[in-house]
Amino acid sequence: MTAAREAIVLPLLFLTVALFAGMRIEQRVVFDPPSLFALVLGILLVRLLIQSGTLGPERLLSAQRGELANVSGVVVFLTLWAAAAQIFAMLIPEDGLPRLIFSVFFLILLLNTAAAGPDRRRLLQSLAVTLGSVFVLKFVVLAALSEPGTGWLKRVLQAMVEGITLGTLTQRVLHPASGYIALFTLGLFLLGVFLLPFHEPPATSTDLVRGVRL
Amino acid sequence: MSETTTRAVGVALSAGYALMIGWLYARQPQTIAQFTGGLSDAVGAYHIDQQSFDDGLAFFRRDQFVEARAAFARADPAVRDARTQFYIAYSFYRQGWGRFYEDDALYREGLDAVNRAIALAPQGRLVVDDPDLHLHTADELKATLEAGLRIDASDFSPARVLRERK
Repeated sequence: MTAAREAIVLPLLFLTVALFAGMRIEQRVVFDPPSLFALVLGILLVRLLIQSGTLGPERLLSAQRGELANVSGVVVFLTLWAAAAQIFAMLIPEDGLPRLIFSVFFLILLLNTAAAGPDRRRLLQSLAVTLGSVFVLKFVVLAALSEPGTGWLKRVLQAMVEGITLGTLTQRVLHPASGYIALFTLGLFLLGVFLLPFHEPPATSTDLVRGVRL
Repeated sequence: MSETTTRAVGVALSAGYALMIGWLYARQPQTIAQFTGGLSDAVGAYHIDQQSFDDGLAFFRRDQFVEARAAFARADPAVRDARTQFYIAYSFYRQGWGRFYEDDALYREGLDAVNRAIALAPQGRLVVDDPDLHLHTADELKATLEAGLRIDASDFSPARVLRERK
């Protein structure tokens, strides 16, 4: 990995994610700091990235590196943590039953993935699918359910859903730009995770034999 | 560019960007003017538009409070000047004051403005030496606005019609 990617690209990318993921557009723009729970989920995700080899900590922090190189390594760690926490804060619904369900879902998913011990490729796929699905659920499905109805059929359906769920499902109405900003931010975060310096697994005897044959 | 220079530039850029994000989260600016004004204020380079402030003061003295607030808002677009916010609060007080009753909505806006003025003033102490005003400190103005919003026995006293606007 080049020094420019480690020292400039990754920190600025993750800080941009942290900035936009915390932005809530309501009657006015509000910058919402991550909750304590989102920070914990962020730590779990960083741990998972290290465990799967998606992030090689020895490539950011080690005694062989100079002081300045280690400082920029720490910056990558901190900005990755901030971005991960804000991504969870952005994807978890604001209130009601969905907030509780999504929070528990993320916690169990991260613990379960850690127990499964996936490699880098599988973790990246799993992250893209999971975060992408939650994005669709919050910014497409729940947003559509919470939007004020325009036609009589939609209003009737909404009244039924609200009645059945005792009003715990509907969310605050999102600004039309919220989904686009969230999609951009999520894409940027996944790109950043993909660009992280990963841990190269040691070559196995099979790989060596294959290399000799080639 | 050498690796050391790249890393030094990266750390400096990240620190600056992180500080800016922290400032955004702490101050919650609502407009581009508030954002740029806040950054200018952080480096001590923010100044109000004196011409607009003088216009606002002239309107204020002629009891044209809506026009005065428009001019004051133009003078301090970033909402960073305690004195301008004090005058905005005072304009809400004078407009909302009535011999028989006070306009609660205007008083509430006045209270918000005077709280902003107190938050912006050094150590929260703001004194305005203007002979046209009866209340010279933000604390007095705040207390007056709060008293106006409170309902107590004095609200039903016939003597209240003899009060003077401050």
